[in-house]
Amino acid sequence: MSNKKGDKQEDEQEVVQINKWDGSQVKHAIDDAFKNVLMERPNCREHFAIIDGRLFICALAVGVALFALGYDYIYTFPTSKPILIVCVASYFVLMGILTIYTTYVEKGIFAVAIQSDGSGKTLRKWTASSDMKKYDDKYTLTLSVKDSKNVREVSVTKSCANFVDVDGVVCTDLVGAELKRIYNSLNNAEKKDK
Amino acid sequence: MSVLKAIGADSLFGDVQRMDKRQFFYQVLSFGMIVSSALMIWKGLMVVTGSESPIVVVLSGSMEPAFHRGDLLFLTNYPEEPVRVGEIVVFKVEGRDIPIVHRVIKLHEKADGTVKFLTKGDNNSVDDRGLYAPGQLWLTKKDIVGRARGFLPYVGMITILMNEYPNFKYAILGILAIYVLLHRE
Repeated sequence: MSNKKGDKQEDEQEVVQINKWDGSQVKHAIDDAFKNVLMERPNCREHFAIIDGRLFICALAVGVALFALGYDYIYTFPTSKPILIVCVASYFVLMGILTIYTTYVEKGIFAVAIQSDGSGKTLRKWTASSDMKKYDDKYTLTLSVKDSKNVREVSVTKSCANFVDVDGVVCTDLVGAELKRIYNSLNNAEKKDK
Repeated sequence: MSVLKAIGADSLFGDVQRMDKRQFFYQVLSFGMIVSSALMIWKGLMVVTGSESPIVVVLSGSMEPAFHRGDLLFLTNYPEEPVRVGEIVVFKVEGRDIPIVHRVIKLHEKADGTVKFLTKGDNNSVDDRGLYAPGQLWLTKKDIVGRARGFLPYVGMITILMNEYPNFKYAILGILAIYVLLHRE
């Protein structure tokens, strides 16, 4: 059975095979699968602001370090002392900011999609975040949707064995079915409110 | 590919192949941040101790039984604490890169604060004039890298090994770098 599905999928996307005993690889693979299905929803486009924020802070920190390295190389030690103090202090401050950013702003979010209404105007923002503890098999997916009026959120906890088969292949059809179920429940709840 | 599968490394490259632009940039930045953290800790130590090389490895047995080859030394170089006779200092002879760890046995100090030192290794039978640059009879403040304040035995043997077998060093660093670049956290 996996062969037939594999052949069909090979035309559209390669089969993702991972080491099923490596928890972080499994989580990343399931995250990617959910992200791909979410982006297939009508008029959904991926939004990179959160990821770009993290990349910016990291790049800034590495830039500060490289500047310190270069400055100290050109003006040897005792003269470069004040600049070094500034660089070292700001590097560790940036590390602190990065930790705060990943803990409070990013918090497990792996996909943000902006859904437009077909003409380019932003309709809703979908945010998907996940959590899977280190040696646990329970994968919690939280999908939240935010439009101009309110925010709703649904969380589902399932074993990651529901999405990965015995060979370590991620079953995108099962992932897709699960996401569609949650997506539709959020959609219908919205319509009911309206 | 089958060789990689045999050693279980095929999943390493699989991760990277599936990464998009941003994720790959983040992998490179992660590697950069690890290197930068080590660099910043080193520069931070330089600033705090005032010495251009706050941690050195003892390379010879000339200070036995106090320090043995392979010991790690922690140095400070505060300008307000003058070097006194009997203290163990690390100095670099002009023109040579290797730091030498010996004890100060003679010291001349002028009223304006300039000092001249003579050093000798505890385990040597003669003073260090043979090690200084040709024509140099005394060391000055600017030759001193720092005074020894503390030590860790045996830890420096890794540095000595890596300097004697540079291929070993490149192999270890290469493997670490590849692991960090390819493994998605």
